[in-house]
Amino acid sequence: MMQNLPWLFLVLPLVAAAADWLVLARRPRVAACVSIISALATMALCVAYLCGLQTGAPDSYVWFPVQGFDLSLGLLMDALSMKMMLVVTGIGALVHIFSLGYMKGDPSNQSRYFAGLSIFMFSMSCIVLANSLILTFIGWEMVGFSSYLLIGHWYHKDSAANAAKKAFITNRVGDFGFLIGILLTLGLFDSLHYADMAGHMKVEAGSPVLTAALLCLFCGAVGKSAQFPLHVWLPDAMEGPTPVSALIHAATMVAAGVYMLVRLQVSMGLDAFTETACCVIAGIGAITALLSALMATQQDDIKRVLAYSTLSQLGYMMMAVGLLAGEAAMFHLYTHAWFKALLFLAAGAIIVRCHHEQDIWKMGGLRRKMPLTVLCFLAGTCALIAVPGFSGFFSKESILEAAWERSMPLFVLGVVVAALTTFYMVRLCLIAFCGDARTHEAEQAQEASPTMLVPLFILAVLAIISGYGFVADQLVPYAGFHTSNAEWGVTFFAGLGALIVGGGSAWLIYGKSKTLSSKSDPVGANCVSQVLRRRLYIDAFYDHVLVDGVQRWFTFLISCLDDGVIRRLIGQGLALLTAWVGRLLGRLQGGSLRNYTVVTSLGVLILMLLLIIFF
Amino acid sequence: MSTINLISTSYTWEQFTPTFVLVGLALLILIADAFLPRFNKKVFPILGALISTGLACFTAGSSASSLFSTLACAATAVCLLMAYDYRKLVYASVAGGEHEDGAAEFTALPLLACAGVCALIRSRDLIMLFVALETVTLASYAMAGYFRRNQGSVEAGVKYLILGAVSTGLLVMGAAWFFGTTGSFRGDPRFVLAALCNPHLSAGILVSMGLLLAGIFFKAGAVPMHTWIPDVYQGAPTPVSAFLAVVSKLAGFVALLIILLPFVYLRTTVNDMMQGLIVLLAVVAAATLLVGNLGAIPQQNTKRLLGYSSIGQAGFILVFFVTLQPTIISPVFNYLLAYGIATLMAFFALATLRMQRGSEDISAFRGLGKSNPRTAFMITVSFASLAGVPLTAGFLAKLSSFQALVSTLIRPHHVVHWLLPIMIICAASGFYYYFKVLRAMYWDQPQQNDAPVTFSPLCTAVLTAGTLLLIVLGVIPLLF
Repeated sequence: MMQNLPWLFLVLPLVAAAADWLVLARRPRVAACVSIISALATMALCVAYLCGLQTGAPDSYVWFPVQGFDLSLGLLMDALSMKMMLVVTGIGALVHIFSLGYMKGDPSNQSRYFAGLSIFMFSMSCIVLANSLILTFIGWEMVGFSSYLLIGHWYHKDSAANAAKKAFITNRVGDFGFLIGILLTLGLFDSLHYADMAGHMKVEAGSPVLTAALLCLFCGAVGKSAQFPLHVWLPDAMEGPTPVSALIHAATMVAAGVYMLVRLQVSMGLDAFTETACCVIAGIGAITALLSALMATQQDDIKRVLAYSTLSQLGYMMMAVGLLAGEAAMFHLYTHAWFKALLFLAAGAIIVRCHHEQDIWKMGGLRRKMPLTVLCFLAGTCALIAVPGFSGFFSKESILEAAWERSMPLFVLGVVVAALTTFYMVRLCLIAFCGDARTHEAEQAQEASPTMLVPLFILAVLAIISGYGFVADQLVPYAGFHTSNAEWGVTFFAGLGALIVGGGSAWLIYGKSKTLSSKSDPVGANCVSQVLRRRLYIDAFYDHVLVDGVQRWFTFLISCLDDGVIRRLIGQGLALLTAWVGRLLGRLQGGSLRNYTVVTSLGVLILMLLLIIFF
Repeated sequence: MSTINLISTSYTWEQFTPTFVLVGLALLILIADAFLPRFNKKVFPILGALISTGLACFTAGSSASSLFSTLACAATAVCLLMAYDYRKLVYASVAGGEHEDGAAEFTALPLLACAGVCALIRSRDLIMLFVALETVTLASYAMAGYFRRNQGSVEAGVKYLILGAVSTGLLVMGAAWFFGTTGSFRGDPRFVLAALCNPHLSAGILVSMGLLLAGIFFKAGAVPMHTWIPDVYQGAPTPVSAFLAVVSKLAGFVALLIILLPFVYLRTTVNDMMQGLIVLLAVVAAATLLVGNLGAIPQQNTKRLLGYSSIGQAGFILVFFVTLQPTIISPVFNYLLAYGIATLMAFFALATLRMQRGSEDISAFRGLGKSNPRTAFMITVSFASLAGVPLTAGFLAKLSSFQALVSTLIRPHHVVHWLLPIMIICAASGFYYYFKVLRAMYWDQPQQNDAPVTFSPLCTAVLTAGTLLLIVLGVIPLLF
């Protein structure tokens, strides 16, 4: 019995979600409490396991046996999954508490909101604890579903409803690839269990089929972790409530792609990752990192800046995965989770206090109005731009080191992205926090409430200390992780240089923000900025060329097919046939008792005949 | 689950305890209705439901017989609860709604029928089987025609009576042939084998099997004895339709099991002689699947739809019998369980709609997704399970039917090649006609004067329990 304790990680949030949704729809406060208790309980359980609680291997359940292959669901409890669980449940619990303050007074149905959060906690735990690709896939789809629910929480707003749809559909594109990848993996390894993969490869390392399988699996990660070219949904997903953005679209769910690939690396073995696959993964990661950092420099919406920065940091992680440095990827995933959650929650507090104003040009002077929140935000910023001593510094350093060892171009790209990161974050802070308030709303801003501040403080502390060896060695989700001793090497100076260049240029351009407004952005007028502001026209390309153009052609083709073949030939043919059969049946089943007895008697005769013939 | 023991020769009194209790209860209720005018008549169905639930718990066990008894008693209890919910219409049909006297038969008859089912499950020879089956059938005739002021109900009763008489005739004739060829009413495999191997008698035993099967197909609702189903389900009072669809069908399949068991035992010894039986069952299964599923497509009346659905689902259950394996008892039970829960839920919701919207058409479900989202969800689960959507019990039930056909026929048999495509087509068409109800609930606009339907707490409780069961059975592999 005790060995099944880990199933509570899945059962508790699921029960909480069901209770919130079905029973407590009219009692938002109770619903919130139920969800928070479930989140705290799973976190406590996770801490207990990390502190050395041993309950043995949990039972796995054969879901249903299909011939020659049992579809079984089980949990994998190793360092990777349990420490990842701590990140998920820890941030989850803090976000649940923060949500209490954030959603206070919101007219929407808060039971639905907390039910969504609990469903998310359930599905994310599925992904993290899964012992096979099947459960991972179930969780994968479920996080997509909960993300859909939560992005569209304010569904009466068209933009939110559209963003929810966009996120879901874009993810579906990746998920088809993922599903194909899972089937290919089943073919290649004869098993979908992570534990059975190592050494059971049926083809030699480096074979093209393996590359295909890995790239298909990577498709899933491209969708979920919002990598180029499927990154378009993430910035739009910021239409959801900010705590949701912090939990799902910054700290945990979007990192699931990285986690899944690292999990595969650990279980398949590094030599299963073919060179081509690695090149593609690292390349896509680097491109995403660069493009989204560029786009972030010209965004005005505080959450969008953070969203693009999330994209860019996820790009870093993917790059590390592609460089076969899963350790560095998970290290960055872990520090990023804390500081990005902090940044989003602080941004959420600012947004609430500015009466749901998200445009940084309409803020200004907030450092005097809400100093504690701004201080927390600054701690997160320092971690993100890798100021030495903050957590982000250590992890970014380890990724750059991996790049330095294996690929020079990627290293240069990484440094450039680091400089850009510093630039846009300093720009954001200067415009939003310094100078004078630009609008009445910003004038009236007040310090955030305690339920919001307490999670912020906790996260701020973690954003600072989580990179140091004494914390990281215990908590980074990777078996046998050790922080390397800081060296005064190339990467350190490159990182420092990027920091100085990025920060300095931002200071030069936006330092006198008192006189600036969105109209007079000193670098906003040139054509490059315009292109960046329009998100490199990628979204427009999708909308106009892919959705409109291609769709129109397809619609035309399909309508030809539809009209000519299906409607005329099959449809009307079938209709005639069915009508004929229907008339026949109708004549037999018309309510006339005599017909019924005739049918019955004839039927019995036919039965007897069959018996005699085939005997 | 152990198999039904055919060779054991003696009946014991204990085996028939549920039957005696149910008959006694039915008589008590009738007497109370006649001689205790002050007694609150509303209590009868509740009392009946309670006692049959108690019996369901009492008979619960791991043997096949006790599982089937439990299911029959529990389903009867649900039908009685439905009758309680439906009582206004019952009173109206008996005494024009002026008083509540004289409606006790509506409780007593299902109890008597259930007593018949419990006896049938324990029967090991054709005499007992016949008597038990007729107990069910006679009670059902009266139930189907219970609304004697309602033309549809009366018509249903008469049709059921006449076609039922034909089937009874076939059954009796088959039993006579069986006795004539084997010299026994007991389905002892040794006697059957002796008759099969004797060139003078083998034709006789085949004829007897054909007649017996035809008689039992009537109860199970298989082609060619299916003709009564749509009309009777549509005309009979809704709780009675539910009873016929679940309990009576269960009786049919249990009788089929009992009749076929000697052949299941002989399957391994005289495989070649069983080909005729296998082909016959396969043809019946295919015809039942096609008639049920294709016939359901154009239906507009929900009860008629559920009638065709019950024919179609019977086709999937018959596929188990095609394999003639001793292992089919537990999948047949599981299928009946999944089908029974979902069907009872559908009828329960339909009874409420019938009373409040005055219509049994699919369009009566219009707009429930908006006005009663939670109930609409539960109805969705029930129809999704009937259609076989994954994560519901119905999916695993259908899957087991497919698997039985593919994996247990000893060598790839020609039956597989044509029965499997038919099953696939029929399973697919199920998605079409079951989802018509869902479409009405979520996509059809409610009409102007539509008030939200109030589902009674009883109905909500039953639907909730059913939803939970369907999902739990569909997600956690307890049975399948």
